[in-house]
Amino acid sequence: MRVLIAGIFVFLLSATASADYRDVFEKEFIHKAWIGSAVIEEGVCVDCHTSKTMKEEYLSIPQEWKMSIHYENRVSCHNCHGGDPDDAAVSCGTPHSGFVGTPPYRRVPVLCGKCHIGIYQSYTKSGHGRALISSGKGPNCVTCHGSHRIQKANINIINKVRCSKCHTYERAKLMKQALFMTEKKIEEIEKNIRDLRAEGAMTAEVEKVLFRTQAEFRTLFHSIDVARVKSRADEFAAKLTDIEAMVDDIYSELAFRKNYSAFLFLLFACLSIGMLVLEKRYRD
Amino acid sequence: MFERTRQWLESRIGLKDIVDTHLRGFRIPGESNYLSTLGAVAFAGFLVQVLTGIFLLMYYVPHPDHAFSSLQVIDNRVPYGWLFRSIHVVGSNVILVVLFLHLLVVFYRGSYKRPREMTWLSGGLMFFFIFLFSVTGYLLSWNQVSYWSTTIITTIPTFLPVLGEYVSDFLRGGEFVSGATLGRFFAFHVAILPFIFIIFSVIHIFLVWRTGFAPDPRVATGMSGGAGEGFRRESYESSIPYYPDFLVKELFMAMVYLAVVFFIITFFPKLFQPALASVQADPQLTPEVIRPPWYFLAPYGMLKLIPNKFLGISLQLILFVVFLFWPFFDGREERNILKRPILRGTFVLAVILWIVLTLWGRYS
Repeated sequence: MRVLIAGIFVFLLSATASADYRDVFEKEFIHKAWIGSAVIEEGVCVDCHTSKTMKEEYLSIPQEWKMSIHYENRVSCHNCHGGDPDDAAVSCGTPHSGFVGTPPYRRVPVLCGKCHIGIYQSYTKSGHGRALISSGKGPNCVTCHGSHRIQKANINIINKVRCSKCHTYERAKLMKQALFMTEKKIEEIEKNIRDLRAEGAMTAEVEKVLFRTQAEFRTLFHSIDVARVKSRADEFAAKLTDIEAMVDDIYSELAFRKNYSAFLFLLFACLSIGMLVLEKRYRD
Repeated sequence: MFERTRQWLESRIGLKDIVDTHLRGFRIPGESNYLSTLGAVAFAGFLVQVLTGIFLLMYYVPHPDHAFSSLQVIDNRVPYGWLFRSIHVVGSNVILVVLFLHLLVVFYRGSYKRPREMTWLSGGLMFFFIFLFSVTGYLLSWNQVSYWSTTIITTIPTFLPVLGEYVSDFLRGGEFVSGATLGRFFAFHVAILPFIFIIFSVIHIFLVWRTGFAPDPRVATGMSGGAGEGFRRESYESSIPYYPDFLVKELFMAMVYLAVVFFIITFFPKLFQPALASVQADPQLTPEVIRPPWYFLAPYGMLKLIPNKFLGISLQLILFVVFLFWPFFDGREERNILKRPILRGTFVLAVILWIVLTLWGRYS
């Protein structure tokens, strides 16, 4: 017993002595490697924007951002606005840190275009973009998508209330009709992928292909050129059919699994009946 | 071929003698029914877990960056990996149901009484180890459900004064559930626990073999082997040989066990894996509802109900010790629970309470 107690004591002592090593192991290898890649760097931006010193109109920004698609995809404040999320002085105080607070109306597309490159290029060539560049009054990204609480866009973003603010709805309606079939198909595929993911299927590959196709399609319709969208509708339909085939393959695999395990269930059910008959024979 | 192999073995190790002495010669009470086979079924279930676990071990990567994706690869890329994983996941839950039933049957029949106190004790510890297997294995899937459930479970020890924080930190390998937790849970799940469990299995099986099966309390109501008496194997009014009569019963139940496992895999594949189980663990994103796995809902519900957490965990520890050493607390000769209304009432109440707390934990 004494040896046991002494052993436990020595173990605890050695465990304490090696605590430094544990810290290093945890921080440099395990903790960092995992959380480091997933962390959303809110930093000083959220601290200031939720403090009492902030102007009231800016206080809701962090909350709005946390409800956005950007937050979901771990896009943080400094990714759009620049600056250093770890240092308030560098972040907001000095313009050469790259910090952009509220960008001028005309510069909004440049800010968004840092990431949405294809859409930016398509937009600048469109009627919307040209109007903004020439007169500074055309619609920019925020006009349709809003700021901070930005949601994943869908076809309903084109609606009478929004579009009629600047022009008649008729032209926008034509565009919506041209997009309808493709958008509907994309939504269906997205739903199927969600279901498959919930089933535990590996969907990363098909998601990647869909994302690429969707991005290409979004780029196209930001040109707001109805004729162009219509002319490429077949091309996108073919691409989406290919993606649907990939999704169907996964469904087939799941169906095979169900049948296979059903077969094993029947096999063991039959074996148990066999054993029951055998057991009855021995009993008799 | 079979006959030649049998003869080859017979001439070398005397196979017939072994079968006659240890299998045919090992007598089982004649009134034993399918409920008497639950221990063997659980052991068969454990062997299935070992086999499927070894397969998973070949592809699983115990690192926070890769654990979830390695399981996705097993499920979707490794040929029949999904089958092995499904059997392992569903089996780990069904085995607990079997063990719960085994425990209830042993208690109801008073089979824990002299001379089988040690069999109960070793079985109780094995039950506890199976729980640990489930808890440690649960985290390995590294999804939102397992991550946050483990966060809850490893918080429970902190309610204990002085030692609580230390125990919790030891379990987690730090302040939070992290890669360190995954590493040590993995080591426990695949190396330490199997080693301990196999030792206790050997002890348990040895004790069952040595003391024999307990007869039905309605047939033999008293305890055997009183104080001062030497070891004496209990004799039964009627008996059957273990082989082949009882073994066939056990095989039947083992087949039923596997049929149930495959039934669940086929028709309710997500029974033990809620929707969030398909999302990788994310320490930044706390799910709206976090619940521990079903077998932990009753203790968890009890902790939630008792406002003083220290009292709650102390009560659970006391109940666990009472459960483990129950044969030593219950010294009455009478084995038939039907003739002991207080014990019967307590037993029924405990079962109902467990079910109610589980349901409350699930739906509250």
